[in-house]
Amino acid sequence: MTSQAVAIDTSPMNEQPKPRPNMTAPTLLGPATIFVVLGLLAPLALMFRNSFNRYDPRELMVSAFTLENYARFFQDEFYQEVLFRTVWISALSTLICLIAGFPLAYFLVRQASDRLKSKLLILIIVPLLIGNAVRTAAWMLILNDQGMLAAFLRMSGYTGSLGLMYSTTGVVIGLVSVLLPFMVITLHSVLESIDRNLEDAAASLGAGHLTALRRIVLPLALPGILAGTLLCFILSMNAYATPVLIGGPKFHMMAPTVYQQVSKAMNWPFGSALAFILMAVTLALTVGASSIVQRRYRRWAE
Amino acid sequence: MTTNTSTGIRFAYGAMSAVILGFIVLPLVGVIWMSFFSNKILAFPPQGYTFDWYARAFAAQEFREGFIVSFETSLIAMATSLVLGVPASLALVRYNFPGREIITNILMSPMIVPGIVGGSALFVFFLEIEMLTGVQIAGTAPGLIIAHALIALPWTVRLVSTSLIGMNRSVEEAAYSLGASAMTVFFRITLPIIKPGIIAGALFSFVVSFIDLEKSIFLVGPGKTTLQIALINYLEWNLDSTIGAVATVQIVLITVLLLVTDRYAKLNRAF
Repeated sequence: MTSQAVAIDTSPMNEQPKPRPNMTAPTLLGPATIFVVLGLLAPLALMFRNSFNRYDPRELMVSAFTLENYARFFQDEFYQEVLFRTVWISALSTLICLIAGFPLAYFLVRQASDRLKSKLLILIIVPLLIGNAVRTAAWMLILNDQGMLAAFLRMSGYTGSLGLMYSTTGVVIGLVSVLLPFMVITLHSVLESIDRNLEDAAASLGAGHLTALRRIVLPLALPGILAGTLLCFILSMNAYATPVLIGGPKFHMMAPTVYQQVSKAMNWPFGSALAFILMAVTLALTVGASSIVQRRYRRWAE
Repeated sequence: MTTNTSTGIRFAYGAMSAVILGFIVLPLVGVIWMSFFSNKILAFPPQGYTFDWYARAFAAQEFREGFIVSFETSLIAMATSLVLGVPASLALVRYNFPGREIITNILMSPMIVPGIVGGSALFVFFLEIEMLTGVQIAGTAPGLIIAHALIALPWTVRLVSTSLIGMNRSVEEAAYSLGASAMTVFFRITLPIIKPGIIAGALFSFVVSFIDLEKSIFLVGPGKTTLQIALINYLEWNLDSTIGAVATVQIVLITVLLLVTDRYAKLNRAF
């Protein structure tokens, strides 16, 4: 390996051929970094500042330094309910993803042949990248009262109406199907790093499959389980298409509410405050969850 | 294969996996199937099959235009992400400098900051620029392209960096020792070696840009609406097989792109 320090020496006097690349890291990184700073970090900083401004129906936004936007959130029960609903729906969807994702990931790593596994992985990843608009549309065609599911249920003799569209259950179904591939892929990579001999050893000592799972596989897979859980939770907290389309206009979650405030009501200060509350709550819950799990993990590992 | 797991357990995992895979894949299969139903109003069972919905989807201006806007935007976003991302990956992998970790985090941040948050921040930022300078960005092609290039960049950096880390550098050393310049080495040696990573990064960033919804929704304008936004706008008021036809076109396009990507870099490594 070559060890290169960042060469700042680019004086024109120094013209002899150089054995090492003379392009320096700052020139290579500069454009991309500036692009992200201007396109994301600066707007975020501005948004944070805006969350302390005052909304004015005529002038849109008046420069100020007030906490009234945050206060409004904590005084208005409607918005607290929206946040609460977002949190519990995300937690529930994530839990279902974890329970459903584990067997599939375990099957891929331990039981499927290599050929089958690489085929199935593609089958899991492709839907992930089909786009939430199309995937949610698919669920709408299935879940609505004249849809595919209702038709199959009718064939099997069920005559009641389905009522899944515009319901919490429908939203959870949609979210789980959107998020499940993320969970499976994360679990798949952590399970793959666990030596299967450990399970064989446990079995040879008389442990049943469930015991081996609980005592060997789960503790070792915990970092991956945590990563997958946090990923699904974060994505679900910020979900937009599923709550809007399957939940309908009366179903409120945080991301659509932020969109509504910023883009439709043009109340930028309050919309900005909502966005930062959403990020802060997500961050607090994920950091909290991971520190609890890590503490427990240490005890488990000892 | 292990001998310790009993047939019963193996069967249980197989069955559960089939159900879960079905849950992931069958909705998409269902959409494709329904896009051929000849029923006027969406219902089961199908009365017959037809290509009418495809003709209708193609005739609908919002979808035709949306597809073109999405395609062009994603293509330019992909090119931008390559121009910015390949040199950046090279620096991140090859150089060790203070602040490398921070720069990596900055470049990856568009992947981490939620789309709705990043999108609303960019939207307000553009409008404030417009108030100051009179230049409109939100609702124009450049505004959309900036947003989409931001979405694409982290994926390009990730995939190109991975292939740079995996490459054997002795060929480069040999070229240098024979007197090749840094530029020559990059274009004649490094680039051909990491080409699979670059192709995978390019295709992948095209796809993530094409399917973006949360950032675009703030930045679309008249005549500049992406396909995803056209889809959800339509879905808010209608539910028929036209949607199925549009969805099928998108499913086929993305599946093909991803299958090609997978030939260059294993898809599951991208996550």
